[in-house]
Order: sequence, then structure tokens, then C-alpha cells
Amino acid sequence: MSAAPDVRLTMPARPEGVAVVRQALAGMADALDFDAAVLADMKMAVSEACTNVVVHAYADSEGVLEVDMIAEDAGLTIRVRDHGSGIQPQVTQSREVPALGLGLPLIAALSDSFELQGRAGRGTEVRMTFLYARESDPAAANPVTGSVGDDGRWDSDATRGTPAG
Amino acid sequence: MDANPIVLDDAAGDVVVVVVEGEHDIYTAPALRDRLDEAIGRGGGIVVDLTGATFVDSSVLGALLDARRRALEADQGFVVCVGDSVEPGVQRILDITGLVPILPVVSGRDAAIDAARATPNGAGG
Repeated sequence: MSAAPDVRLTMPARPEGVAVVRQALAGMADALDFDAAVLADMKMAVSEACTNVVVHAYADSEGVLEVDMIAEDAGLTIRVRDHGSGIQPQVTQSREVPALGLGLPLIAALSDSFELQGRAGRGTEVRMTFLYARESDPAAANPVTGSVGDDGRWDSDATRGTPAG
Repeated sequence: MDANPIVLDDAAGDVVVVVVEGEHDIYTAPALRDRLDEAIGRGGGIVVDLTGATFVDSSVLGALLDARRRALEADQGFVVCVGDSVEPGVQRILDITGLVPILPVVSGRDAAIDAARATPNGAGG
């Protein structure tokens, strides 16, 4: 059912790979004549999806990050996949890879459609589509709610507007 | 030569400016945290200048929010600034997360330095 990818990237799931994915994506979006604002959303959402793989998918072991880019009739679909432990992001307290917890809310707000699939022990796939011609801003339909909590992580129930300090 | 430099500028004296240029994400966030630690360690106000930044993700926001919290706990001003025109890869994430008033983010380095100097949280001055 899935279309064959026009571009498939497979690389170690390491922090330095995320910028490589953005570069490839920028080239693909340029060839498809995407608006700069949509490209910016795309780069952000895909970076967040890749970062989730790097931070959460493989715990202390090595693993791969796979990214497919598929040019379809209405837009560009990007699949970001791992073969790690499954969907539940762990709270990471490491100073090197602290998790704010904003990744999935950002992906939902920035993509025109978004799907998350995963099964325990069989990896996770985030599938995002970005339309060539947007009729509305997806962030209006799926806004990022909440604000940063006292613990430094994103609290989706927090009220905005009052700088806490 | 680093295409995505993070350097400290202490020309303002009591306020140190962390100048962030290029693209920043999970890979460069640890270096940003180190520079922010260094800036906080100097004891004065802190400005993070994103004028030359072209992309920042939630890893960067996490580093900024953490530094802000520690700066405020130490009674040091903390302010982020952008230029007159802001790259979509920076503006968008600030807009949709609602962090502009919280970090806070102001336009122009001079205004940010004044704000970081004026009040511990930078928002009132």
C-alpha cells in the first residue's frame, strides 16, 4: 500500500545525523518547489522526529535511523522510523540529551497530517505529510498547548502568559 | 571553521552575550549548554543572541529554558534576542510554543543587554 520512497536514508541513530536529514530534505523540497515557510515547518518536524529516535529508541545500544521521503500527488510524505523499544518515550535526565517533551506536539502542529505507529519491541514510525498548497496553518488546528513546567519539561496543561520564574 | 558557532562576547561588561549562529539541534545542544554554563558562571546578566541563527529545535529551547531557570535562581538577568528579520526556522518555534514572553525574547542586542541588566528576569525593564 505504501509508495516506494523517492529518497531513503539509513544511518546510525546519532545526534550528528539529524542535520544530514535536514539537508537532504531541503534538497528534496527545493526540487518540489515548496514554499519557504512550509520547508521550515518540515525541517522542524522531521528534526523532532529524528531527535526522538536518537534520544529514545535504543536506550544504551546502537541502532539505525531510517527516513523515507515520498513525493505524492498532494504533498511530500516523510516517514521516520526506528527499530527500537517502542513508542513510550522515557524521561531522560541525562544532561547531554535532556528531553523537553515538545517533540510530538511540534510534529502535530507543523505537519498537515501526522500518524504515529509503534509496537513494543518493534520500533516506531512517525509519518508526516506536508501539502504543496496549504489552505490553512496546521498549527491553528493542532496548536502546541501548555508551557514549560517547574521541572523544566513541557507541561501541556500549564497556562500560558505568565512568565514563571 | 565551525559553520554553527557559539561564542561568548563580553564587550558589554556586566552582561555576557552568547552569540548563536547557524543551525542548532540535538547535536550542538551540549555545546550550547557548556557556553551557557560559562556565561552564568561569570556572574552577570546573560543575553543569548539568535540574530544569526537559522534553525533551532526543541533541544535548543530546552537548553535555553534550563539556563534561564538557573540564571534566575542566581538572581542574574536572562534575555534572548533576535534581529529585525528572523529566520522561519527560529521564529516559528518561538511563536507556536508561546515562549517569547517567557524566555523572554526581545528585538535587538542592545535592548536585550539593557533588559538583562535592568531586572533579574529581564521582562520588567
